[in-house]
Amino acid sequence: MTDLSPEHASTLARLLAQVAAASAAEDLRAIGREALEKGGVVADLLASIPTLPPAERKGAGQAANRIKAELEAAIDARKRELEDGALLASRKVEGFDATLRAPRVERGALHPITQVVRELEDLFTSMGFEVLDGPEIELDWYNFEALNIPRDHPARDMQDTFRCDPAGELVLRTHTSPVQVRAMEKRRPPIRAIAPGKVFRQETTDASHEHTFHQMEGLVVDEDVSVGHLIHTMKTLLRGVFGKDIEVRLRPGYFPFVEPGFELDARCPFCKSGCSVCKQSTWIELLPCGMVHENVLRAGGIDPAKYSGFAFGLGLSRLVMLRYGIDDVRHLLSGDARFLRQFHRIG
Amino acid sequence: MKISYQWLARHVDLSGLTAQDVAQDFTLSTAEVEGVERFLPHLDAVVVGRVLEREKHPDADKLSVCKVDVGLAEPQQIVCGAPNVRAGLHVAVALPGTRLPGDLHIKKSKIRGVESCGMICSERELGLGEEHDGIWELPLSTKPGAPVAQELGLVDWIIEIDNKSLTHRPDLWGHRGLAREIAAMRKRPLKPLDPSPLASGSGAATPVEIRSAGCLRYIAVPIDGVAPRRSPDWLRALLFAVGARPIDLLVDLSNFVMHDLGQPNHCFDRAKLAGRGIVVRDARADERLLTLDGIERRLSSGDMLICAGDEPVALAGVMGGEGSKVQAGTDSLLLEVACFLPAVVRRTAQRLALRTDSSTRFEKHLDPTLPAQAAAHFVRLLKEIEPAARVAGASADVGAWRDPAREVHVRPERVRRLLGVDLSDARIAEILASLDFGVSAQEGELVVSVPSRRATKDIGIEQDLVEEVGRIHRYGNIPTRPLVAPVEPPPRDEGWRRRMLVRAVQDRLARDARLLEALSYSFVSDALLEQLSLSALPHVAVVNPVAEGFSRIRRGVLGSVLEKARDNRHHAERVALFEVGKGYLPEQANARGEPREIHECAIVLALPPSKEQRSDGAAWTQVRAIVEDLLAGLGHERAVAGPAQACEPCAHPIVRAAFRSADGAHELAVAMALDPVFAQRLGFAGDLKSDVACAVVSIDALLSAASEPRGYQPLPRFPGVKVDVAVVVPDAVPAARCEELLARSGKGLVRALEVFDVYRGGVLPPQARSLAWHVELRADDKTLGEAEVQKFLERVERALGEIGCTLRRQ
Repeated sequence: MTDLSPEHASTLARLLAQVAAASAAEDLRAIGREALEKGGVVADLLASIPTLPPAERKGAGQAANRIKAELEAAIDARKRELEDGALLASRKVEGFDATLRAPRVERGALHPITQVVRELEDLFTSMGFEVLDGPEIELDWYNFEALNIPRDHPARDMQDTFRCDPAGELVLRTHTSPVQVRAMEKRRPPIRAIAPGKVFRQETTDASHEHTFHQMEGLVVDEDVSVGHLIHTMKTLLRGVFGKDIEVRLRPGYFPFVEPGFELDARCPFCKSGCSVCKQSTWIELLPCGMVHENVLRAGGIDPAKYSGFAFGLGLSRLVMLRYGIDDVRHLLSGDARFLRQFHRIG
Repeated sequence: MKISYQWLARHVDLSGLTAQDVAQDFTLSTAEVEGVERFLPHLDAVVVGRVLEREKHPDADKLSVCKVDVGLAEPQQIVCGAPNVRAGLHVAVALPGTRLPGDLHIKKSKIRGVESCGMICSERELGLGEEHDGIWELPLSTKPGAPVAQELGLVDWIIEIDNKSLTHRPDLWGHRGLAREIAAMRKRPLKPLDPSPLASGSGAATPVEIRSAGCLRYIAVPIDGVAPRRSPDWLRALLFAVGARPIDLLVDLSNFVMHDLGQPNHCFDRAKLAGRGIVVRDARADERLLTLDGIERRLSSGDMLICAGDEPVALAGVMGGEGSKVQAGTDSLLLEVACFLPAVVRRTAQRLALRTDSSTRFEKHLDPTLPAQAAAHFVRLLKEIEPAARVAGASADVGAWRDPAREVHVRPERVRRLLGVDLSDARIAEILASLDFGVSAQEGELVVSVPSRRATKDIGIEQDLVEEVGRIHRYGNIPTRPLVAPVEPPPRDEGWRRRMLVRAVQDRLARDARLLEALSYSFVSDALLEQLSLSALPHVAVVNPVAEGFSRIRRGVLGSVLEKARDNRHHAERVALFEVGKGYLPEQANARGEPREIHECAIVLALPPSKEQRSDGAAWTQVRAIVEDLLAGLGHERAVAGPAQACEPCAHPIVRAAFRSADGAHELAVAMALDPVFAQRLGFAGDLKSDVACAVVSIDALLSAASEPRGYQPLPRFPGVKVDVAVVVPDAVPAARCEELLARSGKGLVRALEVFDVYRGGVLPPQARSLAWHVELRADDKTLGEAEVQKFLERVERALGEIGCTLRRQ
């Protein structure tokens, strides 16, 4: 950059001082005019160039241009400063504290069971399953008889039943399995359905037992459905629920409406070598399931010679407890806002 | 049920298999194992001692000071308080450092000034029985210093099996049945039982008469030459291991046979029967029997009795009678081994809440051929232990039982298809044969002979045998296969529409209105129904509630949510809850007896009471806004609010509104302030006094009502004019009527109406309020001017004037 002569430097400094002191746009325009228009300092300098010896002409021209450029930049900057002045003054905040919380926005939340049911519904509907509903108050026929559990069958003791009349013609359903036969009545194979809902057992309530809880039934009926399909579907279910591949173990389990019947254990997703959730066994008993008993197919009006199927039951309350580490089942139906509010997350 | 590893080994060679291996086999192929435990592990630490010398304690009459050889270099000095301790005895010694049951930690100590290095134990101290009169005297064949467990053959493991998983397997209620499973899985032979039939004696038979249909078979064996005595240690140890308390030989043997073969049986003191014959009959109502547990049972006609003549001596299949039990002095027996109908035994056990080892087994449809084997087994074992015992006379064996053994045809292709695994015909036959089924091939099918022990209930059809093949092959060896089906969405039927609707309601309320979703019991307490004045309505109720007054099933959802809102007021100023659920109306049951099911959503908002204590305060306003927003979101923007006629009794008599679909056909929702009288009753009182409003939204009505078409309004091309209209409206004139006239006065130009002010009092006449609206006027083809606004206001003034309202001009 061109060095200015002491004379020119002092001229520039004077002009810049005037700019800095200006307090209105009008003053700035006047300063500009004074310096740059005919008769102004810069104009004079430029006008004098032809009179100078040729060796000095170039230097003088550059000096004039530099003064002009710096002056114009200063005027522009000062002009913006003056324009923003009022806004800049309003920036002032006293004692601002970035850590000070604002009052919290009121939170709504879906019940954790609703959330898990939706996840499962979405998972299964994406595989072409439909979602069915069944009544909480159920006929003995659907809850027991049609499921191959006749009267005086010891399996009735396995499910402490709430009876709505002394004979138990009407009961509170003890499982979601009655929806199996209701589904068969409604649809012809291929049937792929799940049925989440409330179920009831007449038992004393404590931290791990409730007389009212949630289950989800699953049913597939088609030609040539096998145990291999059942295992595959259960693995898909567990992958959906836990977000990773889960090793499973199928072992015999007795439920009169399936044959063969299984207990499906999942390798504990929470530990490697035993924890309180799996009672140190590394397995969690999660999914009772099996191949639909031919008597049940018949009760649903489906020919067991042509079709086979599998069914499974998932303890939704238990799954919710596992997922969130909830230690007391009674919280689920307590309606306690302090509990419900914790499930506000939407992602 | 507890299973002893050593006991299993009596029936099948377990060499090379640990108890854990056996448990794993059961788990994967047979039944659920709840745990495997070492039996009395402390017996490893307790050693055999030989009492070398015994002297009286210098300072205590009842104590002895013994020198005991416990296999160490020097005999140990031990102080003992038992009266039977004496030189020459072999005893069980817990040396210092040993832990015994009951958290007893043995230390070297001084007893009355004499040093004692350990404890000589009684059976009770070792967890082996009740006897504590003296120390346990061990056989002299035991070796001093060796662990007691090893010397007495008490090294055992207990495998605990979940009874529920054996519900369908009558053959697995004894050790032999489970041993048969191991034999099949491990391809080892089951050790044979002596097949010789029951010997017969020369004396007279005890006559047996079956008069009850509940008794299929009854074998009665008279036995003489017995006396109650202590059972041999091996027998006691096995019974201990499975949790049965040894009592005396006869009772122990009866228990042993039950745990061995799974067949319950009973020993009567024959003298007490006094020569009367056995009669099996149904009980008479109110007949009494004192059972073995010392409780007098009041019987009913559904129970079945074993009688001596007419006198009841046992509750069939459940428990023996106190009067005829074996006790000191018994020298002759009548052994009962029978087969009873499961349903009869189950009903009695259930009714009397008396579940016994016997009733639990009979409930499972025991093999009717088993009693003969079990009776012979009992007698054989008794004679081995008590050679003087002999069958006194001819045994009775009566009953109309039939052998249930049957043939089932199995198509190997069906096995492969149902399991989804490629097993050869030969492999399928081999697995079935390993389980003691008879198998023969016939025209591509397998003809399988199912023995009686599996044929009573468990195996009747081909599918049952598919399970047998699958479980022995092991399900873990089946390859997984994805389902294959047509790619089609599930049907969009009413169920689907309801589910989508419920999701939309939940989302609008939880996400947009920021309420908390609750779920409740379907039960409602009598107290709550009383508080809500709903007690008189018909409710479905259970006959066996978990608690008194908690038997009824709700007709609607609101009560549950109100109750929860009140509970929450204990720890929150503001409570905003909703629940989507079902209610049941028994008076509208269908032909099959199913009560009508309704689906609805209840919303409750409870706020701290306002200063003005108005019933149409903040809670009411907010709930109403939530309901209107919800309905709008569901396609009922033009739902019409009007006075609610029929309503929950707890609704405020005035502050309530019903929302009907635009066509008037469906009542979609009712919003209401909670009547202060009900609020007080429900407990919104004192510190919990609240401003409460609620709403019930009918999912069913929403499903039936046609929603308004979805659409789009073009954005305005000309600006609108905002006019504020304030009107003095008599209370008798509904706001909706004013809005109707305002809209009509606009002649199509009114685009929006919003109430922004309501007040009464001041200069206003009584029974009237001032309502003020922001009104937006807009035309599609021009910008409106002051002239149009004035014309509008003039029309408004005229129209409202006709119904008694006054336009307030500024």
